[in-house]
Amino acid sequence: MTPVHFSFCSAFILGLMGLTFHRTHLLSALLCLEGMMLSLFIALALWTLQFEMTGFSAAPMLLLAFSACEASAGLALLVATARTHGTDRLQNLNLLQC
Amino acid sequence: MHPTTLILSSSLILVIAILIYPLLTTLNPNPQDQKWAITHVKTSVKIAFLVSLLPLMIFLDQGTETIITNWHWMNTAPFDINISFKFDHYSIIFTPIALYVTWSILEFASWYMHSDPLMNRFFKYLLLFLVAMILLVSANNMFQLFIGWEGVGIMSFLLIGWWYGRADANTAALQAVLYNRVGDIGLIMAMAWLAMNLNSWEIQQIFFLSKNFDMTLPLIGLILAATGKSAQFGLHPWLPSAMEGPTPVSALLHSSTMVVAGIFLLIRLHPLMENNNIALTTCLCLGALTTLFTAACALTQNDIKKIVAFSTSSQLGLMMVTIGLNQPQLAFLHICTHAFFKAMLFLCSGSIIHSLNDEQDIRKMGGLQNLMPMTSTCLTIGSLALTGTPFLAGFFSKDAIIEALNTSHLNAWALILTLIATSFTAVYSFRVVYFVTMGTPRFLPLSPINENNPSVINPIKRLAWGSIIAGLIITSSFLPSKTPIMSMPLTLKLAALLVTIIGLLTALELTAMTNKQFKITPTIPPHHFSNMLGYFPAIIHRLTPKLNLSLGQSIATQLIDQTWFEATGPKGVSSLQVKMAKTVSDAQQGMIKTYLTIFLLTTTIAILLTMI
Repeated sequence: MTPVHFSFCSAFILGLMGLTFHRTHLLSALLCLEGMMLSLFIALALWTLQFEMTGFSAAPMLLLAFSACEASAGLALLVATARTHGTDRLQNLNLLQC
Repeated sequence: MHPTTLILSSSLILVIAILIYPLLTTLNPNPQDQKWAITHVKTSVKIAFLVSLLPLMIFLDQGTETIITNWHWMNTAPFDINISFKFDHYSIIFTPIALYVTWSILEFASWYMHSDPLMNRFFKYLLLFLVAMILLVSANNMFQLFIGWEGVGIMSFLLIGWWYGRADANTAALQAVLYNRVGDIGLIMAMAWLAMNLNSWEIQQIFFLSKNFDMTLPLIGLILAATGKSAQFGLHPWLPSAMEGPTPVSALLHSSTMVVAGIFLLIRLHPLMENNNIALTTCLCLGALTTLFTAACALTQNDIKKIVAFSTSSQLGLMMVTIGLNQPQLAFLHICTHAFFKAMLFLCSGSIIHSLNDEQDIRKMGGLQNLMPMTSTCLTIGSLALTGTPFLAGFFSKDAIIEALNTSHLNAWALILTLIATSFTAVYSFRVVYFVTMGTPRFLPLSPINENNPSVINPIKRLAWGSIIAGLIITSSFLPSKTPIMSMPLTLKLAALLVTIIGLLTALELTAMTNKQFKITPTIPPHHFSNMLGYFPAIIHRLTPKLNLSLGQSIATQLIDQTWFEATGPKGVSSLQVKMAKTVSDAQQGMIKTYLTIFLLTTTIAILLTMI
C-alpha cells in the first residue's frame, strides 16, 4: 500500500474509532465525523489524480457540499439535545431510565 | 344656404352651447357668487328651452329633420368616428320637453335645496346630467350615444349619493351603478358586433346594411342595455332605491329623462327590430312582466316617493310593451307625456315632504287638501293623468297603446298582464291621493306647511298645464307613421277605461271598509310579497354575494391552505416522512456503540485485507 493510501486509510479508521468510542461529549463524535469526511475528501481528490479522470474532478466538491448539509443536521441535533437535556453529555441522555 | 336649414342647425347647436356655457364658468378659479345656481344655470336652461322651440316650430311647419356632422374626431382602422348630431322627429320633440321639465325642476330645486351649502355644485351636476342626456338623444352614432349613456349613469350615481353621509344613500348609488353596468355590457356587445359586422357606428349606415344580417345578437344586447337603464324586471331594484337622492334628482333623472334612455335607444334603433320576432317577443313579455310586477309592488308601499318610483317603473314596462308591438312612435309619445305628469308628481311629493318637515310616510300625512290646496290639486291632476283619464295628457298615449295591444295578433298573456297593471295603477294612485289629501291630519301639529313661495308653485303649475294639454298638442300636431286600427268592438275600445274604473271602484270599496273590520288580520302572504318587492332584493342582494364570498373563502382556505399546502405540499411530505422514520426506527433501540463498533471492526478488517 502506498504511503498516501495508508495515510488517509488510517485517518479514516482513527476518526471512525473516535466516533465509535466517544465517552463524554456528543460534540466530540461530531468532530470525528468531520474528520472522516475530510479524509474521504482527500481520497476522492487522490482518486481523480491517480487515474487521471478529469471528469471526476467535481466529485470532491459534491462531497463537500453534502457533508456541510450533514454537519448542519448533526449540529441541529446537538442543539436540540442541549435544549432538552441542558448539556450534550451522554450520561444525561438516559438519566431518567431505570 | 336655405334659411330654414340654417335656422334649424344653428339653433340646435346654440341650445347645446347655451347649456355648456355655465359649466365653463365653473372652470375659473375665483369663487362663484351665491346666486350662481339661479342666475346662471336656471336662466341658461330657460333660454335653451325657448331657443329649442324654434326648431320645434320649424319641424311642425315643414317637417324638416337634420343631421349635423361637425368634426371628424378619430378613426379606428376600418371606420372613422365623427361628432354628429341627428335631429329627427324624436330628438326635436324630446329636447324642448326635457328642457321645459328641467327648467321647472331647477326652479323648484332652488327652493328645495336652498339650505344646502353646496347648492351650486348640485346645480352643476344637474346641468351636466342634462347635457349628457341631450347628447344621448341627439346622437347620430353609437359612440356619441355611449358617451351620453355613461354620462347619465355617472351623474345618476353622483346625484343619488348626494347626501353621502347616509349609508343607505351610498348603497343605493352603488346599486344604481352596478345594475346599469350590467346593462352596459349589452350595449357594448351590440356596439362591438356592429363594428365587426357592419363596419360602422353611424346609424344611417347601420339601418341600411342590417337588412342582410341576422340581427338577433346585437338586438338582445340592446334589450339588455334597456333592461339595465330603464329598470325592467331583473335589473329593476335600483330604481326604488334611487329615491334616496333629493327629490329634484328623482324628478329629473328617475322619472322623465334618464330612465327613458333605454327605451329611447330601442326607439332610435327600432328599424333593426321590426322584422326580428325574437326581439319583439322579448320586449313584449319583459315589458308586460315589469309593468305588472312593479305595479303590484307599489300597492303596499308606504313611502310616497317609492310609490311614484314604482309607478315610473310600471310605465317604463308599458313603453317596453309598446316597442314589442312595433309601435315606436306610441312609445315615444308616452315618454313625452309621462315626463310631464311624473315630474309633477315628484315635485308635489317634494313640496309635501318639505312642508311636513321631511316626513315621507303616507301613513303620517292626511288632510292636506285644505292645508296645501295647490299642491294637492296638482297631485290629483298628475294622478288622473297617470291613470289615463280621458283627454288629459296620459290618455292620448296610454289609451292608444292599449288599443294597439288589444287589436294586435300578439301574446294574449302580455295583454292580460298589462290590463291588470293598468287597474293597479288606478288603485295605487287613488291610495296616494287618499292618504295624502283626504281624511284627517295624521302629522305633528307644528309642521311648517308653506306653499306660498313662487319658486315652488310656478314650476308645479307649469307642469300641471303640461300634464293637461301636452297629450292633445302632440297628437294633434304630428302625424303617426303607422296607421292605427280604428275599428274594434266597443269593449275593446273602452278596455283601458273600464279596467281603470274597476280598479278605482275596488280601491274606494276597500277604503270604505277600513273602519268596518271586514277582516280581523290582513292576508299576510300577498301583502308581504308586495311590500318586500317580491323578495327580489332580499334574495339577490344577499344570496349572490354570499355565494360568491363563500366560494372565494373555500378556495382560499380549503383548496389552497388545507389541501395544497398541508396535505399534498410541504407539510404533507414532512408528515409522511416522519411516519416512515418512526416505523423504521422502532426496530432499532439505540445501541449506538455496539453498531458503530461492529462497523469499525468490519471496515478495519476490509482495509487490512486489501493492504495485505
